[in-house]
Amino acid sequence: MPKRKLDPLPSAAFQILLALAGEDLHGYAIMRQVAQQTDGRMRLGPGTLYSSIQSLLEEKFIEELDARVDTKASPDRRRYYRLTSAGRKIARSEAERLADLLRVARTRKILRGDYV
Amino acid sequence: MSEKIYALLLRLYPSHFRQAYGDSAMQLFRDRARDEKGFFPKLRLWLDMLADLVISLPREYGNAHSALIAAPVSQRLEGAPSFFVLESEAPRPGALLLGGVLSLTALAAFPVLLSELHPRTQNGSSASGQQLGRSQSSPQQAHQPKSQDPGKPADRAAAGNANLDDAERQRVVDAAVADLKQYYVDREEAQKMADALLAHRKRGEDDAAANGQALAGLLTKQMREVSHDMHLELAYIPDAMLASRYDALGRPLEPTPDDREHFRSAMEQNNCTFEKIEMLPHDIGYLKLNSFPDLSICRPKAEATMASLNHVNAILFDLRDNRGGQPEMVSFVAGYLFDHPEYWYNPRENTTQKSWTQSPVKGSKLADKPVYVLTSARTASGAEQFCYNLKMLKRATLVGETTSGSAHSGVWHRIDEHFGMGIPEVKPVNPYAKSDWEGTGVEPDVKVKAEDALKTAEDLALRKLQKK
Repeated sequence: MPKRKLDPLPSAAFQILLALAGEDLHGYAIMRQVAQQTDGRMRLGPGTLYSSIQSLLEEKFIEELDARVDTKASPDRRRYYRLTSAGRKIARSEAERLADLLRVARTRKILRGDYV
Repeated sequence: MSEKIYALLLRLYPSHFRQAYGDSAMQLFRDRARDEKGFFPKLRLWLDMLADLVISLPREYGNAHSALIAAPVSQRLEGAPSFFVLESEAPRPGALLLGGVLSLTALAAFPVLLSELHPRTQNGSSASGQQLGRSQSSPQQAHQPKSQDPGKPADRAAAGNANLDDAERQRVVDAAVADLKQYYVDREEAQKMADALLAHRKRGEDDAAANGQALAGLLTKQMREVSHDMHLELAYIPDAMLASRYDALGRPLEPTPDDREHFRSAMEQNNCTFEKIEMLPHDIGYLKLNSFPDLSICRPKAEATMASLNHVNAILFDLRDNRGGQPEMVSFVAGYLFDHPEYWYNPRENTTQKSWTQSPVKGSKLADKPVYVLTSARTASGAEQFCYNLKMLKRATLVGETTSGSAHSGVWHRIDEHFGMGIPEVKPVNPYAKSDWEGTGVEPDVKVKAEDALKTAEDLALRKLQKK
């Protein structure tokens, strides 16, 4: 079995999964959502964004919805993406892995804080 | 400008990525460029793009590679046979030498074979008793087609040309005479031209035409000497396959139901050539239309598009890649731009009730909005009709280059698989001037290079809106 591309989950892919947890979004909206949830630290460029999306689609962590016209912003046809249940699961396990890491960091006094 | 640079950068990505996500990536760049105005945001945008390139390019190429490497492994795991096409050893010197010698021999043999075969077909046809014009020696005949149409592919054209015999000439002239009498717009002129063709034929003047191209040119000249009608022509198409499906002007002949179905699905996949619909800043609508497609198929698409642009402050029609289409669609789209029916000149039709736009279109708010049309030297035919009429009606500002100049008012009549005639069947009424855009193109109001037309038109529209 060839090594899976998303194991471990790259942070860009994780952020995309998180962005899609709320609602179905198109590429540019994902980029904006990711920028927002990282306080502007991560601005995904088209190459990174779509290569991550491609890998996520291949692993069936997200799915592409039928193209639809976004009449509000501009009447272009855009591709929308939706989180699958497998995607939600992998995002949760990644979050749990990070939480474990956080607990370790706290016990080693690298990070302060009361709870995870 | 920046869009173009990014489009170039996108080419660095592997083709599988560009095919799948090229458009989306371009769209994302456009979205960001639109939202992030000003020097620093622009700078940040470009830094992001470059960083993105550096990070994602190796990954994309790496992905392609890993897929290649992984493929045979997974096949073997599933127990299926696999072939190793990637050799790890270098080929032996002996094999290289043999390969080189074989290639050289094949290359050398090719021209020799060609020169052997070519004169044989020429001589063969003349030896079979066909008359090739007056008493000329055969080497001259062999060279004649080449000297008469230099740019043509020699093989097919020469083969078709050499076969032209007296019976064929008679047949073409007879067909031309019959078509003229039946279809030409002016019966009296048609009779005169038919008489002239027959008279020339009787005097043996057509015998000088040894090939199809020459005969077509000669007969066209004979007809035009009488009528001075530059839209009337007799054409020879060397490629028989092409001639059976398309007319001399490249328009497809009457489609079969199969063709129509194929066309319909192609149109649906292509979004009816409504290439791009965008809202530019200040609610300026932008519509890039790459043809005027069949109204019977694309009407819903056209209606939806125009409805989505109904609330714009100004509208830009980008026809720079539009090579024409159906006059019905041209006039249908134009209908949205007026609040009362306007006379819509069509060089291919008589004036009828259909010659007026179906204005006002119910619900359309575009009738009093500024209109800009982007043109290029490629803008042709139906797209030029759109430009010409809007310009003459002073309803639009044309920005770009002088258009290509094809009005094509002749209707095609097929004679056989090689010959056909373009015959003007109608005399349209042009209310503006004697000449339309045939041969000359439509002059833009604002002359700029095609690639600068969008920017210029957008500026013009903005200035106009600000003045209000």
